[in-house]
Amino acid sequence: MSASRHELHTLAGPYALDAVSDADRAGFATHLSECEQCREDVREMREAAARLGLAASVMPRPDLREQTLRAAFASAQLAPVVPAAAPSPPGLLAEKDLVSEAQNSPGSPADTSAPEPGAAAASGVTGWQRLRGRAGAMRPPARISLAAAAVLAAVAAVLGGVTSSALRQLDRSKQQDHLIAAVLSAPDRVMVTAPVMTGGTATLIMSHQAGAAVFTAHGLVALPSTEGYEIWLMGPTGDRAAGMVTPQAGGMAGPEVVRGLRPGDMVGVTVEPARGASHPTSVLVVVFKPRP
Amino acid sequence: MTEEDGRKDCEGLAPATAATAAVPRLDDLISAVALGDERAYEALYDRSCGWVLGTVRRVLRDPAQAEEVMQEVLLEIWRSASRFDPAQGSAVAWVMTIAHRRAVDRVRSERSHATREQRAATAVIDYDDVTEAVQASLDRERVRRCLGSLTELQRECVGLAYYSGYTYREVAELLSLPPGTVKTRMRDGLIRLRDCLGVA
Ligand SMILES: [Zn+2]
Repeated sequence: MSASRHELHTLAGPYALDAVSDADRAGFATHLSECEQCREDVREMREAAARLGLAASVMPRPDLREQTLRAAFASAQLAPVVPAAAPSPPGLLAEKDLVSEAQNSPGSPADTSAPEPGAAAASGVTGWQRLRGRAGAMRPPARISLAAAAVLAAVAAVLGGVTSSALRQLDRSKQQDHLIAAVLSAPDRVMVTAPVMTGGTATLIMSHQAGAAVFTAHGLVALPSTEGYEIWLMGPTGDRAAGMVTPQAGGMAGPEVVRGLRPGDMVGVTVEPARGASHPTSVLVVVFKPRP
Repeated sequence: MTEEDGRKDCEGLAPATAATAAVPRLDDLISAVALGDERAYEALYDRSCGWVLGTVRRVLRDPAQAEEVMQEVLLEIWRSASRFDPAQGSAVAWVMTIAHRRAVDRVRSERSHATREQRAATAVIDYDDVTEAVQASLDRERVRRCLGSLTELQRECVGLAYYSGYTYREVAELLSLPPGTVKTRMRDGLIRLRDCLGVA
């Protein structure tokens, strides 16, 4: 039996990658129940494999959410498999946490069903026009393509949500103001919006001509006062710290100017000690990858 | 209506009062889901929908099918949350294992109908095949760098298995290698990846 047992051990790698036939899978599952070494190996290798999946993340269409939730809530759940020595019920602590979350979250079907994007866009245009007034002082708006117009509309929608805090912060620093204007009016500006893994949505408008990017976010999760969101420029030669952002009411943050953007740089955000770190010490909660 | 009322997206759980919200741990969410907690499931959906869709789409490549399988996966998570056992691995790994297995099952059943030519055409490893022009991802760059630390053979074996859904025997055929070699490369590749990523 030892030869075939050895043979079975070698399936741990393929099994962790789901690279086994159904027959192999069933056979190895039996082996797993009796081989502690393979259980441990598979556990570790699956953690690594899971990251290959995380690295491929793409957000689904928003309308799938409601559909999926509805289907789930209409389905029965499997009863727990009660272990011989029953541990204290998990979930009790979680339930307590979730009560407070439930009160705060806009997750009920009633209020997620009516997004009214028109209203946001309308209020956003005002914000954009006010900002563009500043940009226009530096550079008269050139005739813009349809694609650029779409980008501008999206910028407007995003900035619209942060108008008051954005403008307050704009007033704070003239230099920052000029850089923001330069980025927003640069012909090569690119705007990217992405979900933040810990919650919220971040938007980055970058321009290599301006050598800078503008970071804004909404819905960011508040952090303890000892921590902050740190922005990173991640280039081929290493990572450079590019500033801290502190979420305001409603999790809004920015606009924060990211200076020193170089071609090929990605822009990422991690959670770090409030005074900032010299290199990222935790997982990236959002990454912006420039188009080639 | 305030300005932010109009904008909700997949990350729809962005708390109205962020100052009081803490991010619940994924394990805690799953434990609560096991008890039928619908709020917890919504939060779990928001947290994991992008991971699940990304994985499934990477394997299936067909966006419509990927959405379908994503929904199956999320449904399975709801149904079998009580089976999650933290002793057997992290919550992330549990979710991703379900997602990946479903995707692989589907792509294999599709492939069994496909022609030999079609099969050959999909046997391409493309690590930078970013479906959207730009997409955020958890540590995508770190994973990319760590994949770069693997030998080419390890990377091919792991990539063909994970991203294309091939069995080790199929990978052996595609690369004209003995199956035993492929099994070893998969294992070595994953262990190197684990060490590089610092996950245990
Ligand atoms: Zn074994």
